[in-house]
Amino acid sequence: MYRIKFKIAIILGFTGLINFQSFAQNNWDVPADKKSKNSNIEFNSGTAKEGEGIYNTNCKSCHGDIGKNNSLQSLKPVPPDLSSAQSKALLDGELFHILNVGRGLMPSFKEVLPESDRWKVIAYMRSYDKDYVQIISKTDPAKANLVKIKMVFDSINSKLNVEVVANEKAGIVKLKNAEIALFVTRHFGKMQLDKTLRTDNNGNASFDFPKDLPGDKVGNVELIVRVNDEIYGEIESISKFKIAVPTDKPSLTEKRAMWNVLAKAPIWLILLYLSGVLLATGVILYIIYNLYKLSKSNNNLKN
Amino acid sequence: MLEQSKIDKITSDLLGSIRLNKSFMIWMGFLGVSLFVCLGAYVKQLTDGLVVTGLGDYVSWGMYLSNFVFFVATSLIGMLISAILGLSGAKWAAPLARIAEIIALAFAAVAGLVIVSDMGRPDRLLNVFIHGRVQSPIVWDITVVTGYVLISALFLYIPLIPDLKICSEKLDKIPPFQRKIYKILSLNWNGTLEQEKLLKQSTRMLAILIIPVAMAIHTVTSWLFASTPRAGWDSTIMGPYFVTGAFVSGSAAVIIAMYFYRKNYKLQDYITDFHFDKMGKLLVLVSLIYLYFNLNEYMVPGYKMKKFDAIHLNNLFIGGHAVMFWMVQIFGLIIPIILLLFKKMRKPLPMLLIGIAVLIGAWFKRYIIVIPTMEHPFLPIQNVPLHFKVYTPTGIEILVSIAPLILVLIIITLLSKVIPIIPIHETIEQLEEKH
Amino acid sequence: MSEQEEKPKKKTRREFLQQLGIVGIGSVLGSSAILAGINYDKKKTEGQRIRILTAENELLEIEKSDATPVVKTKYENLTYLQKQGRDGIEGKRFVMVIDLSKCQNARKCMSACQNAHHLRPEQHHINVLKMEETENTPPFYMPKPCQHCDNPPCVSVCPVDATFKRQDGIVLIDNERCIGCRFCIAACPYSARVFNWAEPLHAQEDADKTYDVELNVPQKKGTISKCLFSADQVRLGKLPYCVSACPNGVYYFGDENEDAVTNGTTKETVRFRKLLADNGGYTLMPELGTKPRVYYLPPKGKEVPFQEKDRDEAAEHLSHS
Repeated sequence: MYRIKFKIAIILGFTGLINFQSFAQNNWDVPADKKSKNSNIEFNSGTAKEGEGIYNTNCKSCHGDIGKNNSLQSLKPVPPDLSSAQSKALLDGELFHILNVGRGLMPSFKEVLPESDRWKVIAYMRSYDKDYVQIISKTDPAKANLVKIKMVFDSINSKLNVEVVANEKAGIVKLKNAEIALFVTRHFGKMQLDKTLRTDNNGNASFDFPKDLPGDKVGNVELIVRVNDEIYGEIESISKFKIAVPTDKPSLTEKRAMWNVLAKAPIWLILLYLSGVLLATGVILYIIYNLYKLSKSNNNLKN
Repeated sequence: MLEQSKIDKITSDLLGSIRLNKSFMIWMGFLGVSLFVCLGAYVKQLTDGLVVTGLGDYVSWGMYLSNFVFFVATSLIGMLISAILGLSGAKWAAPLARIAEIIALAFAAVAGLVIVSDMGRPDRLLNVFIHGRVQSPIVWDITVVTGYVLISALFLYIPLIPDLKICSEKLDKIPPFQRKIYKILSLNWNGTLEQEKLLKQSTRMLAILIIPVAMAIHTVTSWLFASTPRAGWDSTIMGPYFVTGAFVSGSAAVIIAMYFYRKNYKLQDYITDFHFDKMGKLLVLVSLIYLYFNLNEYMVPGYKMKKFDAIHLNNLFIGGHAVMFWMVQIFGLIIPIILLLFKKMRKPLPMLLIGIAVLIGAWFKRYIIVIPTMEHPFLPIQNVPLHFKVYTPTGIEILVSIAPLILVLIIITLLSKVIPIIPIHETIEQLEEKH
Repeated sequence: MSEQEEKPKKKTRREFLQQLGIVGIGSVLGSSAILAGINYDKKKTEGQRIRILTAENELLEIEKSDATPVVKTKYENLTYLQKQGRDGIEGKRFVMVIDLSKCQNARKCMSACQNAHHLRPEQHHINVLKMEETENTPPFYMPKPCQHCDNPPCVSVCPVDATFKRQDGIVLIDNERCIGCRFCIAACPYSARVFNWAEPLHAQEDADKTYDVELNVPQKKGTISKCLFSADQVRLGKLPYCVSACPNGVYYFGDENEDAVTNGTTKETVRFRKLLADNGGYTLMPELGTKPRVYYLPPKGKEVPFQEKDRDEAAEHLSHS
C-alpha cells in the first residue's frame, strides 16, 4: 500500500522555503557522518534487480530510465540521470542521505521505503557504473540481537534517557556515537519526538519528552527507540510508558444536536414537533367525534 | 321566510353542474390522454434515473422543486378565503369558499406527488416514516402537508354535509350507487338545531385550526431553502415571503376557476361581477404585500452586496436570469397591481387574463427562487460537464412537471361534477338572513 | 447450533476451522464473531495454502481444502457492516490537513478516489479547484474533499438518517437508506456531495457485492455519494486513498486526539496543532459555523507556479460579482 508513483513530474519541496534558483546539482550539504555511511547489503546483480523494481515504482517518473537521459525536463532543477558523472561522483552515504531527506521537489523516502530497499535502489544505480567498487559497511546484522536498549523516564526534567549496550561474549559494550531516534506510535505511523541524536561515550542519549503529548485514556504511549549503529546495524525497541497526557475526549456524537440522530435531537424541537402534531390531531379527532354526534343526533330525534 | 320556489330555483341552479355532458367527456378525455403521456415520461425517469432531467450535482433541485413550491403556495388560498375571510365575517367570500377549498385540496394533495417525482428513490418513500428525523424540514413538511390535506378535506366536507343531503334527494338522473354514497356521506343530516350547531362549531374549529397549519406548510416549505446557508436562500423573511406570495398565486387560481365555473356551469347569478370586483381588490392587496416583501428580499442584500449575495443578485438583475426575473416582477406583479386599481379591469374577462398572467408569473417566480441560487454555490463549479453548470430542464422534466397540473384539473373538474361548487345550504341561509 | 456457544472461547486452529465447516453448513445465528467475515482468496485452487483473517484480526495460513467458506446471507453481512460503519472508531477524531503550497494539480487524489469508490469521471468526492479569491490575490489549486464538519448542515437536514456523523467525526452516507431527496446537496456549502443520476459506473460488476457503508460501494442509482475519509482504510490504520495517492506531499491525515497527522507522500508523522500553528492553518468558511475537520495551510511560497492556462477558469467564479 505504501507504494508511491511519481508519474507526474511536478514534485514539490517540503520546506517550501528553499529558493530553487539556488539549486545546483552538486551542492547537497551532506553531513560528514552521513557521507561515510555504507550499505551492509552487497550490491550484486540480485540486489540491483530488486532495486530496479523499486526504482521503477518510485523514482523513474522523474529521473527517467538510467542511462537514457530521459528524466523529466520540465522540472526545475531537472532531475539528473542517475548514471551521469555528477551522480557517479556521489558517495553511497551521500546518495543514501539524499534518499532519506529529499529536498525541494524530491520527497523524502525515509518513512516510505525500508532501509534495505533504499540501499537496493543505490545498488541498481551503481550497476550502471563499471568503475564502482563497493565499500561494504562493517555492520553485522547478526549482531543486532545482542543489543539491549534501556529506556528510563525522568519525570522531573521530562526526559527520556536511553542506554544502548551490546551483550558481547567479551562483556558489555556500550554503543558509542550511534544514531538514535525516539518515536511514538500514532494511528497512521510513527511520530518522531525530539531530534535524531547520537549516543555518548557511555552509550547514553537523552531525549526531551514533550509534556503535552496525548496518550491513551490513562496516559499510556508506545515509544520506539531506533538505533542505527555502524557495527550492530538498525535496532528498534518498543515499550509502553504511562507518561503522556491522559486523553479521553468524549465521542463527537455524545451531545444532542440538530445533526445528531433522532434519539439525540434537541429536546425543545421534539417537544415543539410533538405538541404541534398532538394539538392538531386532537382538534381533528374532536371534529370527527362531532361528526359522529351529528350523525347520531338525527337518529335520536327520530327515536 | 324565503318562498319555496326561490329555494327550488337556487337548488336546481346549483345542482345543474352535476351531470355528465359531452363537453365534460371531451375535456376529461383530453386530460386523461395528456396525463398518460406525462406518466410515460415519468416511467422513463423511473427506469433510467434522474439522469433524464437537466439536474446535476450543483443544480440538484430544479423544476420539480419549484413546481412543488408553486403547488403548496397555490393551495394556501383555501385558508385565506375560507378561514380568514370567513372568520372575519366577510360574507361576500362565502360562495367562493368551496371553490377555494377545492383548489386547496387539489393542489395540496398533488404537491405531495410532485415531491415524490423529485425523489431519486421513490421506492423508499416509507423510509421517511420508518426512519424519520424530527430535525429535518422535510419531515416537518411531510407532516404539515399531510395535515393540511386532511384538514382541507374536512373543511371541504363538513360544510358540504347539508348539500350532500340535498344531492341525495334532489338529483334525479344519478345512478343508485351515487345516491347511496350521498346518503351515507350526508350523515343523516336533517337540519335539526343540534346538527346545525355541531356543524357550525366544527366548521369554526376547522377554520381556526387551518390557519396555523396552512401558515406552517408554506413556512416549512420556505425553510427547505432558508435552512441552508446559500446566498439567496439564507434569509430570515423566507417564511412570510412565501406565505404572502402564496396568497397571490392562490387568488389568481381562484379567479381563473371562478371564471370557468361561472361560464361553464351558468352560475352568473351566484358568482357575480361583485365577486370578481372583490377578488380583484383582494389580489391587489396580497400583491402589494408581496411586493413589499420582494423589496425587502432584494433591496437589503442589494444594498450591502456581500460577496455571494452580489453574485446572486447580479445574476438576477442583469445576468443570466434577468429576463425571467424582470418579466416575473413586471408582468406577474407590478402591471397586475396597476391594472387592478381600475374598476373596469375588475370585470370577469380582464380578471381572467390578469389571473393567468399572475399565475404564470407566480410559477416562474418559484423557478427564480430555486434555480439561480443553486447555480452559484460558494465554491467554483469545475471539472464537470457544462450541463452541470447551467440548468436547462429537459422535455421529460417538463412533461413530468405538467402532470401534476393535469391531475389538479382532473380533481377540480371531477369534484365539480359530484358536488355543488357553490354551497346551496349556505346560499339559502344567507338569503333567509337578509329577509 | 448450540455447539458454538458450548465451546470455550479460546480455540485451537484446528477446532476453529472445524467450526467454520459446521457453521458453514448451518446457520450463523449467534456467531457474531464470524459475521466479521473471513476473507479467503477465491482464485487459489485446491491443495494450496491460503490466508484467512479471523474476526479477531488474526491472520492464519491454512490448507484451502480445510476451509469451508461460511455461507452468510447478504443481509447478515450487511447488518454487520452497517453497524460497524455507523458506530465509527472509538476514541478517534479524524482530521485532514491540506497544504496548498504543495498542490500542483496532479489530480492523483481524484483518480485514486474515483477508482476506489467506483465513481464516474464527473463525480468527485474530492475535487481539485482552481481558486482565485480576489482580483489581486494569486490563484492557487485547492483540493476540496468533504469537510466532515462537526456541525454538518447536510446531516441536519437529512429526513431519514441516511447521512450521519460518527463518533470519530466522519460523515458517511448510507445508500441503502437514502431516498434521493438531495436536500443534503442543497445544504452543503462546500458542494461536497454528488448524486448517482444514472446507473452507477460498475453497477453490473458490483451487483453481487455486499454494500459497505464505509466504502459506499456498490454505488446505487438514485442515491447520494460523498467523500468518506476512506473510513474502510482508516479502520485498518491505513491512510485514505487520496492521501496516499498524492505525489506532492499535499495531504496529512491523522487523529486530533493523538495530535498527530501523517503525510501521505512521505509517511512522516508530525504534531497536528504545531503544523497548523507553524503554517497558518485555517478552515474553509469558518463564518458558517460548520466546524470543518479539514484544515488548510495557505498557498504560501509555492515552488511551482499556478499554470497560466488555468487562470481564466480560476477567475470565472469571481467574475459574476
